[in-house]
Amino acid sequence: MQSIRSYLRQVSIVMAFAMMMTTLWAVPASAAMVGTGEVLSEQRADIDRASLMTMLEKQEVKDVLASMGVSEAEVENRIQSLTPAELADFEQQLATAPTGEGVVGVIVLFLVIFIVTDLLCATNIYPFINCIR
Amino acid sequence: MIVPQWATVSILLVVVVLAGCASTPQWPESRQPDAVGFKERHLLTEVPFYPQEKYQCGPAALATMLNSQGHDTDPDALVEKVYLPERQGSLKVELVAAARSHQLLVYPLEPELKDLLTEVAAGNPVLVMQNLGFGWWPQWHFAVVMGFDQTKNVVILHTDTRKAHEQSLRIFLATWQRADQWAAVMLPPDRLPATAKPLKYLTAASDLESTGQLDAARTAYSIAAKTWPDQPAAWLGLGNVAYQRSDWQAAAKQYSMMVERFPDMAAGWNNLAHALKKQGCDIEASAAAECAYQLDDTRFSGMIDAKQDTERKSRQCPQLQCPL
Repeated sequence: MQSIRSYLRQVSIVMAFAMMMTTLWAVPASAAMVGTGEVLSEQRADIDRASLMTMLEKQEVKDVLASMGVSEAEVENRIQSLTPAELADFEQQLATAPTGEGVVGVIVLFLVIFIVTDLLCATNIYPFINCIR
Repeated sequence: MIVPQWATVSILLVVVVLAGCASTPQWPESRQPDAVGFKERHLLTEVPFYPQEKYQCGPAALATMLNSQGHDTDPDALVEKVYLPERQGSLKVELVAAARSHQLLVYPLEPELKDLLTEVAAGNPVLVMQNLGFGWWPQWHFAVVMGFDQTKNVVILHTDTRKAHEQSLRIFLATWQRADQWAAVMLPPDRLPATAKPLKYLTAASDLESTGQLDAARTAYSIAAKTWPDQPAAWLGLGNVAYQRSDWQAAAKQYSMMVERFPDMAAGWNNLAHALKKQGCDIEASAAAECAYQLDDTRFSGMIDAKQDTERKSRQCPQLQCPL
């Protein structure tokens, strides 16, 4: 156990150093330069956001949202404020979804998970939902 | 809540049974008009083979990948770079990093059999990760796919001590899926992977840039700029590589080309401002910085860091046309 601990410490030192070095490289000379990776992750987020928006256009998704009493505009607002990481996470879920179940199942699942957890006050992702407690 | 023991057992049983019934593997449909038509059999005969020593599939697979791209290294030299004796294995991230340090662009494939086969058919050996054990008791393994045969229903790999081993598609898919279908090609930056998509490729190129492989990054960005001229990051990357080399003139030129093509991208104007300032074009630099500010006032201040020294006054300053 002790040997694993000491080994982990070495690894974390190396990792910390590596991360520091890559950060230094990525931001050349002046902190205000925009790195290539930065622009790329923004672009990826835009694409993810756009694809999420087109999913909202589907009639089945609209129906389910309507039956939940959630307006489309509110969901659109939420999608606009999702961070790149959250969007990427969602795209990941879509990509690994079993085929056949389709997009509707996943987007509704995604929304339901957060809406229900919001209702139970476990999370605060959709501020327009009044929680039960 | 107390769950009765029989309930736990039956749930476990259901999970085990469900997990057992995986669907039968299939070759990607090649009769569809949009799909890539594969030949029945492909074998990359020139891919070198290195039999692994005990536990050392990582160095062996990496040597195969590197040397198939014209490098001259052997697994023993790679052991100290990518092998962790205590873990008796190699980490995926270390293999990727080692390939980058050899100036190769590491392009992770989409987790699709079709993409993997497309790369092999295009002549690119593919590094794959497999889990030869179970999901809950994994035994990770690296191998190199260098062929397939649809008639015999096999994928052909250099794996462990077996050269050009024919593995049944079913077994390959099962072990590959348990490793999240991770696969990557490692190519010289002047060769585009057969399945390359713009953003993913540019991300791979920017990984080269951020690990200090500036030559390789520049080559990859130029290829991307030629292949997908509608991608701003390719031009920005070319500028950023030049900037990191303190070649202000070349950087300013690349950023100028970027803002000409993508006048609405504030990042291009901002970086152009920095390159111009370094070059000694103060007035133009301020104009570019102001333009970046007009386009995105939450991110850019319109000012350039006053502490930056101007190296010398330049007489060749470009004419700028801010869209606003």
